[in-house]
Amino acid sequence: MHIPENYLSPETCAVMTAAMVPVWAHAAKKVKEELPREKVTMLGTGAAFSFLVMMINVPLIGGTTGHAVGGVLVALLFGPGAACIGVSVALLLQALIFGDGGVLAFGANCFNMAFVLPYVGYFVYRTVAGFRGNLADVNPIRKYAGAAAGAYIGLNAAALCAAVEFGIQPMLFHDGAGNGLYCPYDLTVSIPAMMIPHLAVAGVVEALFTVAVFAFVTRTAPDMLIDGSGMQTAPDAKSRVPLFAVAAAMIAASPLGLLASGTAWGEWGADEIAQTSAGGETLGYIPEGLASGWSLDVLLPDYAMDGVNEVLVYVFSATLGTSILVMLFKLISIPFKGRRN
Amino acid sequence: MLPAWMMTDDIYTPQKGSSAFISKTMAALGRTMARLRVQRGHEKSRHLPAVVKIIMLLLLIITVSACRNRVVILGIAAFVQVYLCTWPARDILSVLRTSAFAGVLALILFAPAMVMNPSGAANNLMAVAKVFLSVEMVGIFNHTTQWNHMTAALRKLRVPGIVIFTIDITLKYIVLLGTLINDLLTSVMLRSVGRNTGRRRSLAGVMGVTFVRSSEMSKEMYQAMQCRGFTDDYKGL
Repeated sequence: MHIPENYLSPETCAVMTAAMVPVWAHAAKKVKEELPREKVTMLGTGAAFSFLVMMINVPLIGGTTGHAVGGVLVALLFGPGAACIGVSVALLLQALIFGDGGVLAFGANCFNMAFVLPYVGYFVYRTVAGFRGNLADVNPIRKYAGAAAGAYIGLNAAALCAAVEFGIQPMLFHDGAGNGLYCPYDLTVSIPAMMIPHLAVAGVVEALFTVAVFAFVTRTAPDMLIDGSGMQTAPDAKSRVPLFAVAAAMIAASPLGLLASGTAWGEWGADEIAQTSAGGETLGYIPEGLASGWSLDVLLPDYAMDGVNEVLVYVFSATLGTSILVMLFKLISIPFKGRRN
Repeated sequence: MLPAWMMTDDIYTPQKGSSAFISKTMAALGRTMARLRVQRGHEKSRHLPAVVKIIMLLLLIITVSACRNRVVILGIAAFVQVYLCTWPARDILSVLRTSAFAGVLALILFAPAMVMNPSGAANNLMAVAKVFLSVEMVGIFNHTTQWNHMTAALRKLRVPGIVIFTIDITLKYIVLLGTLINDLLTSVMLRSVGRNTGRRRSLAGVMGVTFVRSSEMSKEMYQAMQCRGFTDDYKGL
């Protein structure tokens, strides 16, 4: 779901980034008001989880691949504002170091995955679970049903936004021959192409992942939850051990994503796009924006290096990304007051 | 009966002068000495012997600088970050601040080369990353090892006695002379009211006194060592 460089026109990117500015401001304000220092540190762990989940690609219908985002999980644990900041930082790291998602398209990617996904997911969760500020009062079945529904609907809402952003490109920006300058497929192609696989597979993966980790955290580290039901117990270093174990297992499992060999829809390279087809028709040309577009030379494009065992590089990338995120949020937590609810 | 000249109000407003130089110097000295005297690191919970750490550090730095295989460097980078991310926030900050400074400095040095020859930019950026990583590793070592353990580790590595002796004495005397300078600057500050017109002279005085005092101290130490049987033979140290 990471929109690459040059698939959206610079104008679209500017609009999406402008739309994100107030969201970021609001989210930062919320985090500052609501999260004590220990939580900000833990938000780094949440962002790292999201980063890892996004690295694990799953094969989808029609030969493409996709991935869960984990943004709803972070929203359930720390609140939607914190999830917005956490996922945005994870996306920034992916764009700058690993070339996953464009730098110019960063605003659009944040809009889909860091704004629509956690906020919609969290809203659905609250509605379904009947959450009224204290998790202890919530019926466990409704709680997990809410988490699953929130994750499923949140991810699909984000995929729909991405599909619309892709789909409006050829209508707004095309040359004299009617060929799109940026993303060449319009809404009639992009929406089914994005939504069918996400509704059928990726949404289910996100829901399963969210419920599994949410249940795990509720049991092993209840003080991580935002609602305060577990806050009586001071954060204890030992309670983090299972979480670190899960993170390590996920890092080790991340190369499984390499088994899904197809390219995600809308994330083809400039060399691949001419061969792509929709409704039996091959595209047959490279949109001008893609052929001559700007792109940043990142350190580890697509988590890989030429001529090197890709599993090794994938695991190292996952480790590096995870630890950078944890460190970053620890540094961010320094100015926060160490306050206990 | 008071004389008339005692009855008048004395109006004396000293000219405002800045003692920024003195206070800045004192703060910098204080910071350096605090770092030498009391290590802020968290060695207590890290039981790896200093010798092992120093060997590991040297090996890693040599590997990082000599290695052309990017996967190895990526692996080392990942390993170092994982270790560092388990630290408390403030310790991470102090290690990263130094390495970020070194990285930015390297970036500035490489910037002209990268602008003139963009095709080699990837290699130059690699060098910047290597600088960052090396300084980061030294920072971690520095943060987890006390000075006296470092010199002890050097001794075990068969570094000549004279080198260790010099390092040890230098470190100790930085603290001693630092305390002296601090005292001198404090007394200058306490004695000056308003604008100090002879600032340069007092600064020269501070430096002169420090120099005289340090040569006296070294003479005294040499005599003390002779009294304890030192025969100008550093090998036995």
